[in-house]
Amino acid sequence: MSAANVAPITATDSLSQALKANIIPNQEYLLQGSVLDSAVEVLLHRLRGLCDNVDAGTETFDDQEVCFSLRDPNQQAAPLMLRLRKALDARDMPYQLRYIGQPDLGDKSRPTVVRSSLDIACSGMLIEFLNELGCRIEFEYSVKGYMFRKGRMKITVSKVFKISQSSMSPEPISQSYLVELSVLAPQGQDAIGEDMRAFADQLRPLVQLDKIDYKRLGHMSVT
Amino acid sequence: MANSVNISIEAPIENQIQEITYDGQEIYQAPLSMSENLSRLAQKIDFSKTEDEFCNIKKEGESSIEAKSEDENKEPGYQSSLWPWDSVRNKLRNALTEVGVLADVLSIAKEKRYMVLDPIQAEQVDNRPMVQVYGRKKALGAAGAVLLAGVERLRASETMRMTRNMPDFHIDLLRLRQNWRLKKVSNTIVGDLSYRTAGSKFSQTGVFEVTKAPEEQIAQAMSMNSSGPAPSALRVTVPPELQGVAFISVLCQKEQEDVVTATLSSSALNCPGTLPGDGAELHWQQKLEAAQNVLFCKELFARLAAEAVQLDASIPHMVVGNQIMATVLPGIQLLIGLCHNNGQNNNNTEVIKSEASTGKSEHDHVLEHSLHQLLRAVHHNNTHHPFPHPATGPLGPSKRRSLAGPMAADRYELLEMSKEQSLLEQIIQQAQHFFMRRRSEYVLDTIAKEVKDPLIVSHWNALNSPTQSCVKINIVAYGYDAVCRTSLVVHVGEKTLKCICRDGKVRHLSYELQELRDLIYCQTYQHQMTAVQAVGRCMGWQLLASSAHLGSGPVEPLGNASSCLLASPNGDRMIAIRCEPSVGIQVFIAQSPRKDFFASELVQDKKWENLGGAFKEIKLDKMEGKNFLNKMELLMACLSSPS
Repeated sequence: MSAANVAPITATDSLSQALKANIIPNQEYLLQGSVLDSAVEVLLHRLRGLCDNVDAGTETFDDQEVCFSLRDPNQQAAPLMLRLRKALDARDMPYQLRYIGQPDLGDKSRPTVVRSSLDIACSGMLIEFLNELGCRIEFEYSVKGYMFRKGRMKITVSKVFKISQSSMSPEPISQSYLVELSVLAPQGQDAIGEDMRAFADQLRPLVQLDKIDYKRLGHMSVT
Repeated sequence: MANSVNISIEAPIENQIQEITYDGQEIYQAPLSMSENLSRLAQKIDFSKTEDEFCNIKKEGESSIEAKSEDENKEPGYQSSLWPWDSVRNKLRNALTEVGVLADVLSIAKEKRYMVLDPIQAEQVDNRPMVQVYGRKKALGAAGAVLLAGVERLRASETMRMTRNMPDFHIDLLRLRQNWRLKKVSNTIVGDLSYRTAGSKFSQTGVFEVTKAPEEQIAQAMSMNSSGPAPSALRVTVPPELQGVAFISVLCQKEQEDVVTATLSSSALNCPGTLPGDGAELHWQQKLEAAQNVLFCKELFARLAAEAVQLDASIPHMVVGNQIMATVLPGIQLLIGLCHNNGQNNNNTEVIKSEASTGKSEHDHVLEHSLHQLLRAVHHNNTHHPFPHPATGPLGPSKRRSLAGPMAADRYELLEMSKEQSLLEQIIQQAQHFFMRRRSEYVLDTIAKEVKDPLIVSHWNALNSPTQSCVKINIVAYGYDAVCRTSLVVHVGEKTLKCICRDGKVRHLSYELQELRDLIYCQTYQHQMTAVQAVGRCMGWQLLASSAHLGSGPVEPLGNASSCLLASPNGDRMIAIRCEPSVGIQVFIAQSPRKDFFASELVQDKKWENLGGAFKEIKLDKMEGKNFLNKMELLMACLSSPS
């Protein structure tokens, strides 16, 4: 009865409180690498030994990602890129809408890439909503692979496929697997970067996980 | 998940408190002024070191200066109380004197009239290589002796091991390492036997130490049981609070009037004695497993006790020492206790045994196993968080939680999601269900024994959960199971029963036995009614009327009276059956052309004899027939003869 007399806390109040308390995980700490198809079994074996929950078996995932861009017709500024990811093997799970910011490259001594990342779970109406907003599809691809976790760190070993128009099986875009080590954390928790680097060193001879600068990759010639 | 908290930082008090007056005021020692500080520092200068060096250089002929310096060393001890600068002044004065003498000597030597300074060849150091060689030889010999002693010891133990076939320390250590987690800390080997890596968050550590068993003990053990397995070369030392054997005893018993007797009689459970064999000779695997079990039981009991104190049930739970008392159903108590036998209180076992033989209910192994499983499930959930699908989602939230956003769950739903049942609540539910099931079984068995006429057959489902069971009850008459069968399903829950009858009615019963009994009785009589009608159909008899809830006759204490009226195929006979659950079944027959019709003045026509006669009751117990339906069938057969 007393609860009815107290003014209810509004959503904006709780959101601003959460922002002030710095509990929203809006930063992603990332290390990436790749490993050839021939060598991926050894890496998976190693990860099975190092990561948590050995008894539960390896977790696989099969996702499809669509990237939208929202351009402002007047300005020539960089468009806003939004990614929509859905799980093909778990159809009842919500879609994830993701915004990834530019990584701040200023600090060379940081062990990992740090970029802002916002993940929001959405229902299936999202595509129509984004279309109504004016977003256009830039590209899409599908990802299939394995997922591991160690404490807060998430390690994915996945293969990227091109989505074919007909109902043929998707073809892979390369003969290798993409290995990603990531942590979603609030701002300011830089110690996790050291833990990630230490873990990456344990995988060292099999795969080299590093900070990858996309801008430099873009300048390299692609055959 | 940190809320910001303001922290204030203050430097500690710099000045020491000299005195605290009676009114609480603190008087600080005044900080030293600059001059006082300087004098304190000056006192610390150690002039004696410089004095000694000075003396070594001028050792021949200047012994007076040595004596003087010794005096000076003694002086600060005596005179320091007078004036802090006194020793400093004296030291400086001496230094001035020495420097003055040096200046005089140098000026005289410079003049070269009275004193000349001549260079002297530096003294040749006597090269004595043999001494060096002997010194080195001695040192090396000592080192060699140490190494040789070590080698001798190793060789001796190795030969002893080979000859007497004693167990190898390193092989045993390898075996130990295959089962337990070990770590080398400085020069000891320690291990961890707690459930930390399996997801436990208990604060008590389970650290044990591994040492080498002394050889005499091994030899002794081997000589004692030469036929048994070889003793191990390792000895593990578990912490004293984890030694011995422990288990969680779970008792369900009738509520005791006096709480004290309840605790006493329950604590009179005798824990099993220590593990067979002496402590030291016990194999390390059994020792470590027992210690791990003790730790697990302690964690389980600590968790249950904490929950018992925090939960507010209608009848509060009591935690007394090593026991938790919870009320499961009115009149039934659940007692959970931690029995830990350290092996040190052997003198109590005789007394305890004699008390235990009277009025001791059995420890429930099934509920104890359930408790173990519940705690292991908690551990499992602590480590096995679900993976996100799609892969970029955050690690951690369960599926329902991640769907809460898109599905617009409100605050109430979110709160409900975060609530989870405590261990104590779960085990109380299981105990309640256990009792309900036992009671229902008892009721059904008793009724089946009492009621012989329709047979009551109950099938309990083989698959059930710890909190729900199902029983299907069939009421059939012997020989007539194809004709009519009444079935009902009873779902036994924790405190209630749910009864679903064939006609679709669902009844919720409470934990009282009587309700189920009454229900089964009513169902039995209903069965008799429907069965008679079915038999009548088979025999060709027509159902004229039936009523499940008769309004005539005396009020029934249990249920309602029911009746039916059957007519023979050619219509000349009628059977009326009245069924009352408390009295029994009454059967009446009537004949259609009355045998006792006599024309009288009021009723003159002969045709009125067809109206039918009065009903006459039949003595059912005198009739032939195995059961009621059989009797009815015979009666119908007899009454439907063509003549």
